[in-house]
This record gives sequence, C-alpha cells and structure tokens, in this order.
Amino acid sequence: MERFELEIPTTVTEAVDLLPASWDEDGGREAMPIAGGQDLLTVLKEELYAPERLVHLKGISDFGGIRESGKGLVLGALLKVASVAADPRIRLHWRALAEAAESVASPQIRNQATLGGNLCQRPRCWYFRSSDAPCLKKGGYECYAYGGKNKYNAIFGGGPSYIVHPSDIAPALQLFRASVKTQSGGGSRELAISELYTLPADSDVTRETVLGPDELIESVSLPAPEPGFKTTYVKAQERGSFDFALSAVALGVRAQGGKITECRMVLGSVAPVPWQPERAEQEAIGMKDEPESWAKIAAVAMEGAEPLSENGYKVPLTKGLIEKAFKRLREEDV
Amino acid sequence: MARALQDGPPTEPAPEGKEWKKTSKDVDGHPVDHWILVDKDDGGPTWPARERLSLLNKDIERVDGAEKVTGAAVYSHDVRLEGMLYAVVLPAAIPQGTYSLDLDAARAVDGVVVAQDVAGGEVRYLGQAVAAVAGITPDHARDGLRALGVEFEAGEWALTREQAMAEGAPAIGRRGNRRSGRARGDSDATRAALESAAAAVEAEYTLPVQHHVCLETHGVVVDYRGGGEATVYASTQGTFTIGSEAAGTLGLRDSDVTAVVEHMGGGFGSKFGLDIPGDIACRLALEAERPVHLLLDRKGESSFVGNRSGGWQRVKAGCDETGKLVALDAEIETYGGLGRGSNPGLPYIYDAQEYSRVQASVMTNTDSSRAMRAPGHPQASFAMESILDELAYEAGLDPLELRKTNLSDPVYHRQLDRVAAEIGWSEHPNRTAPGTGDGWTATGIGFGVATWGGGGRPVCEVDVKISSDGSVTVEVGTQDLGTGVRTYVAAIVAEELGLQVEQVTPRIGSSRYGAANASGGSVTTACLAPSVKAAAWAVRRSFLEKVAGARGVDSGQLKCADGAVHDLSSAAGKLSWSAACALLPSEGVAERGKWNHKLAGNGVHGAQGAKVEVDLKTGQVQVLEMVAVQDCGLPLNHLALRSQLNGGMIQALGYALLEERVLDPELGLNLNPNMEDYKIPGSMQMPLMKAIVDEEDDRQVVIGMSEAAVIPGASAIANAVHNACGARVRELPLTPDKVLAALGRV
Repeated sequence: MERFELEIPTTVTEAVDLLPASWDEDGGREAMPIAGGQDLLTVLKEELYAPERLVHLKGISDFGGIRESGKGLVLGALLKVASVAADPRIRLHWRALAEAAESVASPQIRNQATLGGNLCQRPRCWYFRSSDAPCLKKGGYECYAYGGKNKYNAIFGGGPSYIVHPSDIAPALQLFRASVKTQSGGGSRELAISELYTLPADSDVTRETVLGPDELIESVSLPAPEPGFKTTYVKAQERGSFDFALSAVALGVRAQGGKITECRMVLGSVAPVPWQPERAEQEAIGMKDEPESWAKIAAVAMEGAEPLSENGYKVPLTKGLIEKAFKRLREEDV
Repeated sequence: MARALQDGPPTEPAPEGKEWKKTSKDVDGHPVDHWILVDKDDGGPTWPARERLSLLNKDIERVDGAEKVTGAAVYSHDVRLEGMLYAVVLPAAIPQGTYSLDLDAARAVDGVVVAQDVAGGEVRYLGQAVAAVAGITPDHARDGLRALGVEFEAGEWALTREQAMAEGAPAIGRRGNRRSGRARGDSDATRAALESAAAAVEAEYTLPVQHHVCLETHGVVVDYRGGGEATVYASTQGTFTIGSEAAGTLGLRDSDVTAVVEHMGGGFGSKFGLDIPGDIACRLALEAERPVHLLLDRKGESSFVGNRSGGWQRVKAGCDETGKLVALDAEIETYGGLGRGSNPGLPYIYDAQEYSRVQASVMTNTDSSRAMRAPGHPQASFAMESILDELAYEAGLDPLELRKTNLSDPVYHRQLDRVAAEIGWSEHPNRTAPGTGDGWTATGIGFGVATWGGGGRPVCEVDVKISSDGSVTVEVGTQDLGTGVRTYVAAIVAEELGLQVEQVTPRIGSSRYGAANASGGSVTTACLAPSVKAAAWAVRRSFLEKVAGARGVDSGQLKCADGAVHDLSSAAGKLSWSAACALLPSEGVAERGKWNHKLAGNGVHGAQGAKVEVDLKTGQVQVLEMVAVQDCGLPLNHLALRSQLNGGMIQALGYALLEERVLDPELGLNLNPNMEDYKIPGSMQMPLMKAIVDEEDDRQVVIGMSEAAVIPGASAIANAVHNACGARVRELPLTPDKVLAALGRV
C-alpha cells in the first residue's frame, strides 16, 4: 500500500468537494472514498490503485442509521452489513435482504463492512485482483478471464469484460425494487438498483456502476413490504461460508391456491450486474407451485447463458439453486 | 505387500551384546525403514503398565495452552528487538527469464536501510525470490521494493505438464523435463492376470498442488549487530538445523550462533534449515549490522517455500470373485515443479498378487515441492482407495469387505471394523452400489487406510534437574510444532517423580540445550520421549540415593509417588516433596538421558471413514462426519493425540474439497497466492469428528502417528461422494463444477 492522505469530513458537501469532479486518465483514482474499508484496503494492499487521498465517510452523520418512511425503510449507506442482517423489521418483511446480508463473508467483516461499500465493492476476478495482470478492468487491453481461468466468471452479460458483480446485497435489493439516493457535486439523484449497475459493454469498462467520481451513496430506500410476497436468498459457494458466491438467487414468490401469481428473481455472481431473468418471471405466472414447474422456470432463467471454457457448470448450478429457492419458499416458513 | 520405501534389512549378525532394531528415518520427508544396532536389554527404564500410569495415557492439558490462546506466547513473528529492521521480499512475476533492478533507487528511499538482489538477475521459477529490502518499518521496506523498479523479461516457460512435454519446450532440468524412475514389478504377469480377472477397472486420477498454509509464515528474526555472535529466532521444525547455516552466511563459528524456537506456528514438512527467507534475513543483517525481521507475507508463502506435489496416476486393477486383488498396474507422474514430487507407489498399503508400475516426474518452472505431512501418501492413497472402490462396485462387492480382503495385517481389519461401526456402515443402504438420493441431496460413506513409520533413533540429549527447593526442570533443545511436545516433556518427568505436570518446568526450543532431532517424519515422539524418560528415570534414582543417604536408609526402600517420597521401610515414613528436596546438596541433582531403544517402537496403521451429503442440485459437498481410528503404541497424551487426528482430518478435508494452487499457464501467473482464492476449511466446514485412539494396540513403546492422520481422509471423502450418488470424481479438489460434471449435469 502506498502513502495517502486521510481526510475525515463531517458533511456530505465537504466529502464531495474532496473527491475529484471528473475521472482522470487511469480511472479517477486521485482520491477515493472509504467507509468500512473491507474492500478498499484489499485493493490498496494489492496496489491496484494508489490514490493520493482517501476521504473517510465515517464522520457524515446523515449516512447512518435506519429510519421508517411510510411503510418502507431508509437505510443509511454507512449501516453495517451485520445491522442489515439483524434488523427485526428487515428480517420480517424483507427476508431475502436479511438472508443476503447474513451470507456475506464472516462475522468480523459483516461488523465492519457497510451497506454502501457492499454495493460499490470491486469485482473479485483474480486477474483484476492481481497487480501482475494489467487487465481490461484496470485500463489494459484484454480480459484475461475470457480465454483463461474463468470458473468464477460471467455466464450472462459478459463482454468485453467477464467479471461478475460480487455483491450479495444488490440482488436482494433489486428483488425489492429498492433504490439508492446519491449525492455529488452535481446534486442529488435517486437510482433504482437496476440502474445503478452497468454492463461492461454499455459504459466505461473500468467501472461497475454509473456513479460519478464524486458521487456517494447516501442511503438505500426499501419500498413498503408486499403482503403475501415471500422471499429468500440462496447462495452456492465452494466453501460453505466466508466465500464469494459461485452463483446466488434472490427469489420472491406469491402463490394462491397452489399456483404462482407473482414471481421475481434476481441472480447474483452470474453476470457483471445483478441479473434479472424477466422471461422466467413472466412464464412462472399461472404455473403450479411444484417441482416440475420450478425446473421449467429455472430452465427458462438459464436461456441465453453463454458460458466460457471453465464455467459451464454455473448453468446447472444456478438452475439447481433456483429450484432450491422455490422449494425453500414453499416448504419453510419464510 | 508393497512397502513404501525401505533399506534392506541387515545381513551381518549383530555383535556380542548388541541386536538389530528396525526403526524408521526421514529421507526427504519419506519414512524409510531403517535398522540400527542397539544394546541388548540393559535393565534400564521401561514404560510402566498402562494401569499404573497416573498422568500419561490420559488427557493432559497443554502446559502452554493459556499462553497461546491469550497471545502471550512469543512466536518468531512476534519477536521485537531494539534497532530491528523489517524485511520484505519480492517474488518473481514471471516463470522464467531475467530481470533488472535499481538497488540504489531503493536505498535512496527514506527509511530503507538495505536493498539486495537475491537471484542475480535470473528467474528459474514463478514466484522465485528476486529482491529483498529492509527498512525501519514494513511499509518503508515496501516503499523500497517499489523503488527498485524491477523489470522482468520473460523467457520461455512451462507451468503445466503439457507445456513441459510439448515439442520445443524449454529445458528445465539438466536431464530433460521428464525423469523416469525404476520400473517395478512384473508387467507381463500383471497384464496376464488383469486379462483373466473376474472384474477389472481402469481409471486416471489427478491431484492438485497443495500449499502447507502454515499459520505462522516462514522466516526468522536474526539478531546480529556486527561482532562475533548472533541469535536466530526461527520458525523451524529443527532447532539444530539453523546454527551452522546461519553461521555460514554470517561468517561466524557454528558455536557462536544460537537458534531459538520458543513457539512455532506449524511447518508440516516445509520448515527445515535456514531456508530462503532465513538466508536472506542473515544477508541483510550482515550488511546492515542490525537485527532483521523477515517473516513472509502470504504471497511469498505461496511462492517459494514449497508445496505438496501434484500428480497423475493411471491405474488398472482386477480382482477375483472374492474381491482378492489379482493384478494392479500403475503409471505414476509426480509434479514437483523444479523438484521431483513424491509418491510411494501403488498398490500402496494393499496386497496385489501381481503388480507393475512405472513412475516419472515432470518438471515445470514452479517452486520445488517439499515434504508435506506424509509426503506422497495422500496422493497414492487417493488413487489406490479410489480404484479399490471402483473395483468393488464393478464387482458388486462391499468396498469395506474388499479392503479387508486385500489387507493382510489384522490391525487394519479391527480398525476398519471400528470405523464402520462408528459411522454406521451396516445400517447404510448403499453398501454394494452407490445411491441416488431423493433428487435434492444424497448421503454416502467412504473409507481409507494409512501407514507410517514414526520410529525413533538416538539423537536427543535431555537434562533433568531437581533443585533443593523442590523445583524440577527438564531441558532439551527440541521444538514444539504445536503438537504438544512441551507438554509431554514435562509430563514424562512428572510421572516418573510422582509429581503434577505443573511442578515440572519444561525448557525447550534453544540450541543451547541438549541435542534434539528435527521434526520430520513424525519421529519426534519416538526420538525424544525415550530420552526424556531415561533422564527422568536416572534423576529419580540419583535423587532417591541422595535422600536415602541423608536419611540413612537404603534407596531401594524409597519411592516417589503422589508428590512425596515414601519410605517403605517405616510405617510413618513419608516425606513431602519439598522436605525430601531440602535434603539435597545445594547444587541439587541432575542427570542427562539418552535414547533407549526399548522405549520406542516403529510402524503405525490407521483407518478413517467419512460421511458426506451431496447437494445434487448444486454439486456442493458437505462432510457430515469423519471417524479416525489410530494406533500409536503407548499413548502419551490422549488430548494431544485426538488433536493430531482432528488436524489430520481437517487438512484432508481441505485437500478433498477446496485446496488447489491455480496458475495461468499462458500468462505465467499464480492466480491464488492468498487465502481468499486459495481456500482452506474454516470452523463452519467442520464435520462431527470422532478421533479414536486404538487402545487395542498394546505395544509398550511410543511411536509417532501424526502423518498417518492426514493420509486417508481425502480418499474417504471422495469415495463417500461416489457412494452417495454415483459421482466418481477422479480429480481433487471435489468442487461443485467437478461434481456436477460427474453427475452428468454439465
């Protein structure tokens, strides 16, 4: 890790002023925001970036806490991941979000990592994470994963970069149609989670979100709970804990008289963004809530997958995970 | 019966008063059967009958447990000295080629004291140490590394077997990239027997490169400030492997270098001698004339301090109607980077009426493999236990019974039966054919067996002293790898003197104390415990003679027991320990003990079973239960033994399901030189573990067992996965991609 200056502003305005107004040549890293530091410090230790200045957000009181807003909740970006997992309201009404937060890393990391940081974390692709591989994501010319060791990489939405977005929380938030409120020099804006992330083909390949260099997530808004809409988050890992997902499913189902009347599904770790297989969601409606249907819906969700040389297994794995999520919703009281 | 490796038994008769004793020694991490001349029975110490032991053969808490869990224990990593510099090392970012660097630029960095080129501009393997910098803090040293501006120029390399064997591949070894070993067995007879076998199978098995992942990384703190002396605080498996090498580098006499190994955080075979980090630290200290702290980071740890070699094995096996193995043919390749790798050969522990095998090693531009807990054995076990399983199911036989049919040693039969009983094999539905599960999950059971030498030899010199104030010390230079050596050193003395463990102060881990073996090949218990026992036995006799002299009685009438000296000649005769010691002269009483062959044995077995649940939808494997039954002669400390068994099972679980070094052969990169992408099991992955000491082993000798504990677990897990659902995964680790492929889902 190289030397940097640490600034600890106490207001959003100060923080935004300390961040660069435009991306510089190597991706706008003259100053970077830090909150829990669980991702950023690993990035700095591997010397992927060497910012001159870190802007610590911990002093900004507006960014913390949970407050109720109508029937929904507003979660401060500095909320710890562990607090998201533990909040009784979230556990009751936004179950998939609590489960996703609880599945993150280890207790130590959940106690330190923040909600905003989880949403803004950088990819885990081992080429990106190696300072010895000047890959596309870091301003190089090639995505080494495409023709290389890609068992953890994207099966949907890849090209020219094939990273997967590693967040557990983002798919769960997208399931609930949550949005983020941001602050920047240009003012404030509200973005749906689905608008926050961008595919590598659609914008600057060195970034995963549409956030500007001086744009900070202030909070996340969870809309009012939807009665009868049962949700869960299921994650497959090589190691059953403290491991990023091979694939993950945030699933919500409303069923009446044994039939599915509403289905929403957001997949994690299969694409550079949280991946919502809309056709599968639509086809599910009217189907019986039973194993044969789950398998059909899961198969539809996997349509269009484009596996690389070593990640073809992610197709049956994700399909199986979707079936498990349906089973869990029907059999367990979630 | 195929022995792992052995010297021939001696042909000449033993001289008068001597006899031949079979033991084992460690050769490059392999246990090699070894015969030594020992004195015929000399009336010296023997281990008491088990029912007469009050401390040994029971659970003894670690004497340094509290120190370790509270962080008070000082490991080499924790040593801080006045004026000490911190050193960091740069691993090569290419597998082969040259590099240039600017040492002066590093030296000009604020806080940098020394910068050195380590490899002379030539890179022979990926991750080789190429440069080192020492500064006043680790961060200053890293600033210096960056300032070196190292530029690598890659030449041609080979990181995989395919690359090494390709036409026009760069020459890595002086005698070619593939080195063949001697062919063994009778290939014609084996081929014929295979053809007439009632059932036959053929399969290929592939093993990854596994890292040691020592909790404490490799390295030393060397205290040298110019002058004629140095102390090396080393994270090592051999206190006495440090001194002469460090002296050589520092230009000192061996006797002027002290090695200190107060605590060390695991070695698993990878920490002998001064080693690369130690040598670099000494060179930096020599130049700086200041103490240097050099303990590697995880990237260094994954780069140039060894690994368990990978391998490939093609096996053909055939059996008769009863399951008797009539023939086995094996082609074996080991992948040890610049080293040879290891595999003790097939049919490993099992009997085969006919067998033949050829063995070769293929070199690549990667770090040389080193000994790692039972070198080569888990690799051989995986192929052998898998092919036996495949043969059993092919023949429609119970794989447990087929194992017993092909193991002549009855110890294995009783151990396998015990494992089977503990894990519920007889109630398990899939005993002669794999199951299918319920469409969501499936549960299966698998088995494997182990072998090891674990014998001792005369090395250790142990000093026990009883002072007139009643304090008792035992000193020997040995190192405690975390196995509990310090505890049994104290406990053996306490047992002999009728004291409690905490009344004896063990002092170990310094080359200033008596000689000790390096801890490789699980030989420490059988080398050290007899010497401790001999010293304790001798000091008890001297002590009682002195007490008897002071009291005017015959020392034969005195006995140490229950923290007192009992005078059997008089009804009221009982002296408290302190009262008895007060009768000693002011210098106390001290004796030195040497190895006594009657106290040490050789040769252990071991059987393990695993029960797993396979998620048929995702290919994830969860180990539900593991059982280990292990013999070791006389158990010194059951708690420490179970701990070794648990540790062996856990390490095998990691080998089975998670651990694998991943290289990009085209880019020439190590993709997981860290503990995020190189995954080891954590607390949430722990199965129910039953660690069982085989108490039917009534040998009144001590034998090392730790390496046996790591051998069969991965094989048992792989067999359990197949038993659960029919997915035969022939390559470790058994990650979901491979399990799904074996289920025909990819």
